[in-house]
Amino acid sequence: MLDAKIKKEFKTNGRVTFALDVSFVVREGVTVLFGPSGSGKTTILRSIAGIVTPDVGKIELDERVYFDSATGTNLPIQRRRVGFVFQDYLLFPHLTAVQNVAYAIGSATSKGRRDRAIELLDLLGIAYASDRRPQQLSGGEQQRVALARALGSDPAILLLDEPLSALDSATRQRLLGEIVDLQRKSRIPFLYITHSPADAVRAGDCALILNAGRIVQEGKPAEVFNAPRDSAVSRAVGSENILAGRVKDHNEREGISVIDLAGCELVIPYNALPKSTPVTIGIRSDDIVVSRERIGQTSARNLLEGTINQVVQDGQQADLLTACGVYLKVRVTAQALNALDLRPGVKVYLLIKASSCHLLS
Amino acid sequence: MIWPAFKLSLLVVSLATLLISVVGTAFGFVLAKRQFRAKELLDAFLTLPMVLPPTVTGYYLILLLGRRGLLGRYLYAITGWTLAFTWEAAVVAASVMALPIMVKSARAALESVDARYETVSFSLGKGEVETFFRVTLPLAFRGIMAGIVLSFARALGEFGATLMLAGNIPGKTQTMPLAIFEAFISGEDKQAQTLALILTFTSIVTIYFTNVLTRPPKST
Repeated sequence: MLDAKIKKEFKTNGRVTFALDVSFVVREGVTVLFGPSGSGKTTILRSIAGIVTPDVGKIELDERVYFDSATGTNLPIQRRRVGFVFQDYLLFPHLTAVQNVAYAIGSATSKGRRDRAIELLDLLGIAYASDRRPQQLSGGEQQRVALARALGSDPAILLLDEPLSALDSATRQRLLGEIVDLQRKSRIPFLYITHSPADAVRAGDCALILNAGRIVQEGKPAEVFNAPRDSAVSRAVGSENILAGRVKDHNEREGISVIDLAGCELVIPYNALPKSTPVTIGIRSDDIVVSRERIGQTSARNLLEGTINQVVQDGQQADLLTACGVYLKVRVTAQALNALDLRPGVKVYLLIKASSCHLLS
Repeated sequence: MIWPAFKLSLLVVSLATLLISVVGTAFGFVLAKRQFRAKELLDAFLTLPMVLPPTVTGYYLILLLGRRGLLGRYLYAITGWTLAFTWEAAVVAASVMALPIMVKSARAALESVDARYETVSFSLGKGEVETFFRVTLPLAFRGIMAGIVLSFARALGEFGATLMLAGNIPGKTQTMPLAIFEAFISGEDKQAQTLALILTFTSIVTIYFTNVLTRPPKST
């Protein structure tokens, strides 16, 4: 378990240009750090790794104090046992894949190091490229080697700074699944920075939403992204609902597929994915129609029954945070809010066209 | 005259190059990777021999290391030995004169290594020394080698400071450039020509290898 309290100010010409002030706990699983550029995500990761020193705070991992401004403790990066994975892989260019991984391994004999390195490369499905140099590997292959290398030093936590953002979409999807598997096998906390809400919902067990140096909301990704607590969070996470589910059924003739969202089902345009494939669906909050009563005959293929939990008003618009088996935020105008008397506790029906449901992955 | 000068030059330049490689890389590392206030001042001081007339550098070396020099007097008092007019003085003169080019090359080569590679190495539990020898140095290797080759050439051609500090004693402190000078003024054109040819040939080989080493590696 990671327990972190970090305060740091960045100054330009004596004026504070950015202040980070966060306090959070990370348990096992994948914790996603999400927020706009410059919100402090990377500074958090670098503070945990020991690359930057907080002004004030305390960072503890499994009772081991990494940093404590009160006692003047500041473990050097070498002794923190943190695995760091970067967006641009940073494999040592003068070493082969297996040498890169072996470099990280503390075993006494060179044979022991090599064997363990091959084992880790095999775990990432990249053992076939053991003797290639980084320049001879694709981006996805390089990132696999980088993950194997980070695990080679037997870290107590893995820090991933947008590890997939330089990869093409297909590789990205595959590798994201593998990173989650890797977490389940290694049983250490993963702290994962991403700019993609879809990746966050698919991979994250927990999400921390950052804005201007502060954590504005934390919780399960499906909740945080689809039920943003206030307008600051709403702006940080964007207007799309992100839902994770599995393909349940197809009807090719009628042009639809059914997705099981573990709580409700969603009809989306037909796709050819095999049944029970994990998918992520995006629905823009202003593509959802709200009705106070059940409407029978409409072309919208989805009619979900739910209750409004909260209304977050932002100027002339408002987000209705509704629970209908899953969480969905629905964007309405202030006028609709008043005319329909939409407030917490009210029962509503949500109409969503199949074509408004976008397959994100 | 040719053979002793050639042998002495070889000895002096080899030792000087060895010394410069280590000291120059160390200074290059400090200048490239450490942040401190007097950094550019240190760089300027180390570069001085490159811009000063060699005789001035030689003069300073005498003031520092001569029998009555700032340090030399203690050396003489303790050991009864003085550096001036020995072959070791030629090594010192050549080293000081060629050091700037090594420091400059090493600094540039080490600065070009992305510091994040070092961060990765630290995060994998490796210390500063191991990281330097296994990551930083290999990544800067070509630039450092180029610096060594250039320093070798500079040390080989050293004349002014050597003349001041080591003198021009045939068979003892007379290196090839000094031998050429003496052969020329005493009218022994043949010897001067042979020595000049040897030095020219060495310089061409040096430039060739420097170019090969600093060429970016072929992409695969």
